[in-house]
Amino acid sequence: MIHYTKNPLIDDSIPENIQPLIDEDITQFLILKDGHIIGQSVDHIEGVYIENFDEALSQKRDLIETLDNEHNNPADSYQYVKDNATSGLVIHVTKNTVVDDTLHVFVVQEEHDLVHNTIVVCDDNTELNYIEYYVNNNPASNNIVTQSFVGENARLSYTTVNQFDQKSVLNIIRNGRVKRYGELTYNIAEVSDALSDVTTNVQLIEPYAKSYVKTVAITNQQQEARFEQLVEHLAHHTEGYIENYGVSSDTSALVFEGIGKIHKHMKQSVARQQNRGIVLSRKARLDANPLLLIDEYDVIASHGAAIGKIDEEQLYYLMSRGLSKRNAERLIINGFLSPVLDALDSDALKSVFVNSVERKTQDL
Amino acid sequence: MAKLEIKNLHAEVEGNKILRGVNLTINGGETHAIMGPNGTGKSTLASVVMGHPKYTVTEGEILLDGDNVLDMDVDERARAGLFLGMQAPAEVPGVTNSDFIKTAMNARLEEGKKVKLFSFIKEYDKAVQDLKMNDDLPHRYLNEGFSGGEKKRNEILQMKMLKPKFAILDEIDSGLDVDALKIVGENVTGMKSDDLGLLLITHYQRLLDYISADRVHVMMKGRLVKSGGMDIIERIDSEGYDWIKQEVGIEDERVLPKEDEERTVLGTCATKEALDL
Ligand SMILES: Nc1ncnc2c1ncn2[C@@H]1O[C@H](COP(=O)(O)OP(=O)(O)O)[C@@H](O)[C@H]1O
Ligand SMILES: [Mg+2]
Repeated sequence: MIHYTKNPLIDDSIPENIQPLIDEDITQFLILKDGHIIGQSVDHIEGVYIENFDEALSQKRDLIETLDNEHNNPADSYQYVKDNATSGLVIHVTKNTVVDDTLHVFVVQEEHDLVHNTIVVCDDNTELNYIEYYVNNNPASNNIVTQSFVGENARLSYTTVNQFDQKSVLNIIRNGRVKRYGELTYNIAEVSDALSDVTTNVQLIEPYAKSYVKTVAITNQQQEARFEQLVEHLAHHTEGYIENYGVSSDTSALVFEGIGKIHKHMKQSVARQQNRGIVLSRKARLDANPLLLIDEYDVIASHGAAIGKIDEEQLYYLMSRGLSKRNAERLIINGFLSPVLDALDSDALKSVFVNSVERKTQDL
Repeated sequence: MAKLEIKNLHAEVEGNKILRGVNLTINGGETHAIMGPNGTGKSTLASVVMGHPKYTVTEGEILLDGDNVLDMDVDERARAGLFLGMQAPAEVPGVTNSDFIKTAMNARLEEGKKVKLFSFIKEYDKAVQDLKMNDDLPHRYLNEGFSGGEKKRNEILQMKMLKPKFAILDEIDSGLDVDALKIVGENVTGMKSDDLGLLLITHYQRLLDYISADRVHVMMKGRLVKSGGMDIIERIDSEGYDWIKQEVGIEDERVLPKEDEERTVLGTCATKEALDL
């Protein structure tokens, strides 16, 4: 059973850190604050159902419960969100619907701890480009679960930018399931200052399902953050790609644990993983522990990790054209993080990301 | 008039003495060429003038209009008017060519001032056309996946945009086919003026068919062992370097014996891979 409790909304104004992001670049958006929709432009998108969690639970409980049972995630924090959600959203793209414009969702924590559940269902032959931005405005404990279902021949691009402050704790579990010829891309931009534990699980459950999980993360000061990506191949001819890009500075510690798991008989599957990292200070830590768990011979698999300081030759090259060391480093770091930055298709959101990177690397 | 002076320059890399007393003065408006076989220290000279952090100057000085260049950081040297077209420019993923050059141009302006976007784009597009490069160049990442020839042209393009006082072009001709060499040659020649001092580094005379030099120097064993006019080039072209070696009285023109060189090359690869912390 999934439970939902509604918290009272104290103030229904759009926060100052969200207002400037709603510009002409963004046609389809929804703002959720402490579980309440406080602004939106998505009343009528042909073939798309978007509702607040409590509303959706009364209208689509069967669908939600059925999908939820499929995931069957044993983590305590997952169960916690199921039992205690106070914020959430259900997005259902119905069969054969291609959503042209990107859907932007802003999730704001204001008065209460955030216990949030997002469910994105893409039926067969659908396409959705989804971008979400999470921000907290008061110190809080934040528990987030998101679940994506990608039907046959459907395409979901799921991009997420998180900005939680230093006094907060962050726990995120993302689950994705992909069917035949479906494609699920996660672009995860983690620019929080919070103590973070973030897990992304993708299950490729039918042949020819495909997924990309790209994560960029920056840690600074005494921050600790751990990112786990598990891509499970549960059918033959499935492809899973994991890419991690990390930057750690000051005395922070950043860990990537990417796992590609190919079960027996899942022939002709591809599991690839790449980890890259830049360590900006002597006392910062950045670890990547790429893992391949493979129980089948007829597969293609690779993994690698390259972690080091900022490339001296790149720095020299940029400086030889007159860029100050600081500017050269800035450009190199932003370039390094571009695989996810490029997925943000609004300039305002791009600058949120770039400014956060700036802020988190300013003590070089 | 602008003046670049290199006096009795000695420099080391990784504990090896490479430059062993280089003397060279270039005035604004002059074009000099340094020729010499591989491994004689030509690129090292270029790197030391630009300030590559790996090289240590142990003796001598470099002056730009009387100012001590060795006191300046790499970026200050660039802003003071030095430019190095590199033999092997770095690739920088995620940074577009146009963002990069725009940032470099802004770095030359007063704090808070910026180049005007419209005139920048116009100028950049023209430079792209002059060098017969693809239209998508501005949006491509800096040198990433570029062929050898594209990298060389991109160096010249940057030079066009940045308009340095002194430019050193290190083997700007290697990796270029005849057509590309002609394009690069024309563009460099087109930039010649009384305000530009040029130093061309090459080991083929063919570059000098396209860019004429006022003075030619030959480098061996980390020093300029012979200087003269274009006639030197003709003789090198027909006879090679042996006559110069005989004149100077050396057998091996390299700074380091061959084995050493192979070892250092391997060494650099290995350190690049290694975790540095
Ligand atoms: N960064 C470096 N690290 C180690 N050895 C170097 C480095 N740069 C140059 N050398 C050595 O210095 C010598 C001269 O090299 P270089 O200046 O590149 O010669 P040239 O450009 O004339 O071919 C060579 O033996 C080379 O191996
Ligand atoms: Mg060289």
